[in-house]
Amino acid sequence: MFFLQQCLIGLTNGALVALVALGYTMVYGIIGLINFAHGDLIMLGACLALTLVGALGIAAGGGAATWAGVAALVLLCGLFCGGLNVAVDRIVYKPLRNAPKLAPLVSAIGVSFIFMNAGLFWLGPADRSFPDLVPSTNLLAHDGLQFTLKDLLVVLVVVPLMVGLSLLVRTTRLGKAMRAVSQDPVAAALVGVDVDRVIAATFFIGGFLGGAASVIYGLYINTIGFQMGFQNGLYAFTAAVLGGIGSIPGAVLGGLVIGLVRALSSAYVGERWTGAIVFAILIVILVFRPEGLLGRRTREKV
Amino acid sequence: MAAPPPSAAPLPPRPAGVGGWLASRWELVALVLLAAAPLCIPALGGALGGQVTTLFIYCILALALNVMVGYTGLVHLGIASFFGIGAYCLAILTVPMYPFRIGFLPAAVVAVLVTAGTGLALGAPTLRLRGDYLAIVTLGFGEVAKVTLRNLEQITGGMKGLNPVPPPGAGVTVAGLDLGKAFAIDPRWFYYLSLLSLAGVVLAMRRLETSRLGRALVAVREDELAAQAMGISATRVKLSAFAMSSAVAGLAGCLYAASLSTTADPNAYDFNRSIMVLCAVILGGLGSIPGTILGVAILVGFDTVLAPWADSWIQQMNINPSGSSALSFSGWRLAIFGLALVFVMRYRPEGLIPSRRLAAELHEEGP
Amino acid sequence: MSPPEAAAAGRSRYGGPVAGAMGRFYDSRMPFPASCRRRALFLAALVAAWGLPGCRPADPDLVKIVSSLPRTGSAKHQSDTLVRGIRMAIEEAGGRVGPYRVEYLDLDDSTAAAGQWTSEAEAANARRALQDPDVCAYIGTFNSGAAKVSMPILNLGDLLMVSPANTAVGLTKPGLGMPGEPEVYRPTGRRNYTRVVPADDLQGPMAADWAARRNKKRVYILDDNEVYGKGIADLFEERCRELGIEVLGHDSIDAKAQEFKSLMASIKAAGPDLVYFGGTTQSKGGQLAKDMAAAGIGADLMVPDGCLEQVFIDSAGAANLEERCYVTFGGLPPERLEGKGGEFVARYRDRYGEFPEAYAVYGYEAARVALHAIATAGVKDRRAITDAALAIRDFDGALGHWGFDDNGDTTLRTLTVNVVRGGRFELFEILDGATLADAPDPAPVAPAPDAPPSS
Repeated sequence: MFFLQQCLIGLTNGALVALVALGYTMVYGIIGLINFAHGDLIMLGACLALTLVGALGIAAGGGAATWAGVAALVLLCGLFCGGLNVAVDRIVYKPLRNAPKLAPLVSAIGVSFIFMNAGLFWLGPADRSFPDLVPSTNLLAHDGLQFTLKDLLVVLVVVPLMVGLSLLVRTTRLGKAMRAVSQDPVAAALVGVDVDRVIAATFFIGGFLGGAASVIYGLYINTIGFQMGFQNGLYAFTAAVLGGIGSIPGAVLGGLVIGLVRALSSAYVGERWTGAIVFAILIVILVFRPEGLLGRRTREKV
Repeated sequence: MAAPPPSAAPLPPRPAGVGGWLASRWELVALVLLAAAPLCIPALGGALGGQVTTLFIYCILALALNVMVGYTGLVHLGIASFFGIGAYCLAILTVPMYPFRIGFLPAAVVAVLVTAGTGLALGAPTLRLRGDYLAIVTLGFGEVAKVTLRNLEQITGGMKGLNPVPPPGAGVTVAGLDLGKAFAIDPRWFYYLSLLSLAGVVLAMRRLETSRLGRALVAVREDELAAQAMGISATRVKLSAFAMSSAVAGLAGCLYAASLSTTADPNAYDFNRSIMVLCAVILGGLGSIPGTILGVAILVGFDTVLAPWADSWIQQMNINPSGSSALSFSGWRLAIFGLALVFVMRYRPEGLIPSRRLAAELHEEGP
Repeated sequence: MSPPEAAAAGRSRYGGPVAGAMGRFYDSRMPFPASCRRRALFLAALVAAWGLPGCRPADPDLVKIVSSLPRTGSAKHQSDTLVRGIRMAIEEAGGRVGPYRVEYLDLDDSTAAAGQWTSEAEAANARRALQDPDVCAYIGTFNSGAAKVSMPILNLGDLLMVSPANTAVGLTKPGLGMPGEPEVYRPTGRRNYTRVVPADDLQGPMAADWAARRNKKRVYILDDNEVYGKGIADLFEERCRELGIEVLGHDSIDAKAQEFKSLMASIKAAGPDLVYFGGTTQSKGGQLAKDMAAAGIGADLMVPDGCLEQVFIDSAGAANLEERCYVTFGGLPPERLEGKGGEFVARYRDRYGEFPEAYAVYGYEAARVALHAIATAGVKDRRAITDAALAIRDFDGALGHWGFDDNGDTTLRTLTVNVVRGGRFELFEILDGATLADAPDPAPVAPAPDAPPSS
């Protein structure tokens, strides 16, 4: 029972990690950039969410009104983060498309610092409490096993977004263009794909998922702070690589694995070793599967 | 090994004249100026001296990273952990809590050997990994090292760190001068010690660049398959890069611990620090020694020299009597730092002082 | 500055290695015609200049007080209140002490990159203070770990150090910290460190005593793995074992982790009736409380003074702490301060428009100790000032009447337990540290205080 409880916690946490990891993996898949600013983008999304909760007067326990409010938050923060991500791409990364590979990486780190400073002025230096809009009502009629409404919310938002994303990449025209650009931007341009627009769309989708993640993060973890982006980004980035960076199912699998490993190592080894165990397992997996869990030599990016 | 490694693209000749002479002998000029500086600038005998010493130590660390990222093209996100392992090794061998208590020099030699060995141990199983997968393995190693240092309290003192690390020459008295005390009181002693180490590392790097091994590193960076076809063992070359880089980082760690008189806590060796050093190397120019040093001077100098100075200047000018964070420099530090990174990369994507070889290639391939 | 003969010896000692290294450097790079002559000139200059004083002359009318606190990053809020307290003390003195003008410098021992205090920033601050002949007192540090860096440096110059917040026992008390503490922080063998806040050897064990009196039988102990938090949690655990309270587990959290849901599931399975967290607001005290409530753990939560700030309640959510979270604190809460302390609180509210946090008064008191020591010494001599501070035995301060003991620790042994009620801290019980060694006996429960104005 205890084991089951820890697995539930791990999978729920992992779903959240996966949602963030998708933003990394999509951008990486299409322009090969580790977008270090993604975690801090989510932090800004959470800032906006907190401000909106106050401005829109969303309160807990309002039934349908609360749920509508949460949906509005997801949408607005998604649009905000998506837009911001596109803007950053245009201003910062786009001029660096032909630059040495590591230049945009440093720019991304720079952007993450700028975001953090913005968050510092927005939130103040201390951690802030995010209102508990969704109650922690236990959905299982069992005292030793908890799966709350909050956990369900995470799953309810994360799963449709992931399915939608997979469908988008697999079936739509845009998705086809994204896959083309990720394999060979020059060739894609030659056959008439507007590469810049496809890249912008990728940044928008990645940002939108990040914005959604920021709302879920606020509702699920209930604490936000201007430094939250770092840890968020670290685990999500790790998840993306673990699954095989550039691969969408890989990012999801990587996120779930990381969530599970964290929960189980906290339960059976000790909370203090969690960070070490997650990364030690990562190293071992990569030593035996150098392209990640679902990555392939000829990577099917995005 | 069989055939000599292929030399990459031929280098453009250096410019002639006085400027050319200066450019080709920049490290000599800089060394003389820096060596003379404490004699002309009294402030270097004060807190500024300690800050500049820190800069020198970071320069050594960045040059260590440059071996991996600049010469060999392996992205390394965990250099700070080797820095930390060096610092902790030195501390274990010298602090009063342990029975060893050997002198600084032998302890530093052991520490450098240990870090080199650790580097090999990390490098050996991960040689197959390419690009970003290697990056994340080094990142993971950094996290594992940090958590381990923090949790093995009986050995590392946990978050307390190991201190006090005695200064070099503690207990040695030469002609009535207690060397240990001189090091502890007057920052100019550490200034010269770290400047000397930096000069040694720069010299070693120069030698490496023109050596057979150095050219092999570059060959592997440019095209691993082609290099192997020419008879270079990529395994050996990469392992050498790991070992050299870790050893030099360990040396920087020794100097760091000795100059602070403590190992500091394991958080001082976390991902943030690795990233900062990586930014400095890229910002300055990958594979370029002067670039790397300039990058450190800008990035680390901003945080350790400029920001404290600006904050106290704002205070002394009494611009901000109420202490509001929007008017203090530290309130804007992150943004200024970030903007600097973005702008430099926007206008000099190959770095401030690109290595001549890299610059030549970029011009060839440029549109 | 080193004495002249030391400098002289340094010259001869130094000539060797530098010349050797330079020689190798030159030879390996190129033939250099005038190298020998230049080298000789350079060495002569080196020899001549080594003895130059490293700092500018002192200003005879000025004394400087510096503080070294984390001014960037997550501890900024607490350091803000401390700095306000320090500024108020200096303003009240009219910016003067004795014949001297007082200048205050607010140094930052954190960096933007780290987001928290760093050893090198702290070491740089200490060196800077040491090298500036006008600096007569050093107020700091906030983190006990930082004190370990600056104490040995400042000790070399006998510069008075007054900490408003360090509580790690090893800094002053022999036999309680790591082997060699606290002598290792005093390379000269003399003392220069004082603190106005009671150390953890009081707070941790007394919290355990209090828990025993409240009939707690099973505790689960957490800490944040920092010098302060781990230290106090270890002392708490030790005392619990002495008192026969069952310790179900002791784990350390990562202060950068985001949530502790699986840890809380483990704690819930263990079934404690008290959870003790040695840590601060910055090291995720709030998040722990939140996840504890969400996991449905009914046990009380007990935390040390690092969490005694309104931000802790805000970050944990008042509902999650209501009537179940107890906070120990070395001293009386601001609303209970009387005499000079009461005046301070009133003036602070006038000046900043809000009720002071618990730490503000310690910043204020530390600055007053520094001013008092400078005034008593009467001369701008660091040793004399330090001695004057260490000699304080009866200080009429904002914290009441107290003095320093031989270790430089405050003689204040009053502790309070506060409870979260109605979204703010409320005094629950006053504990007297004198009873610590005795068998636990119930201390009188304080009458409910006058309602303090909400902040």
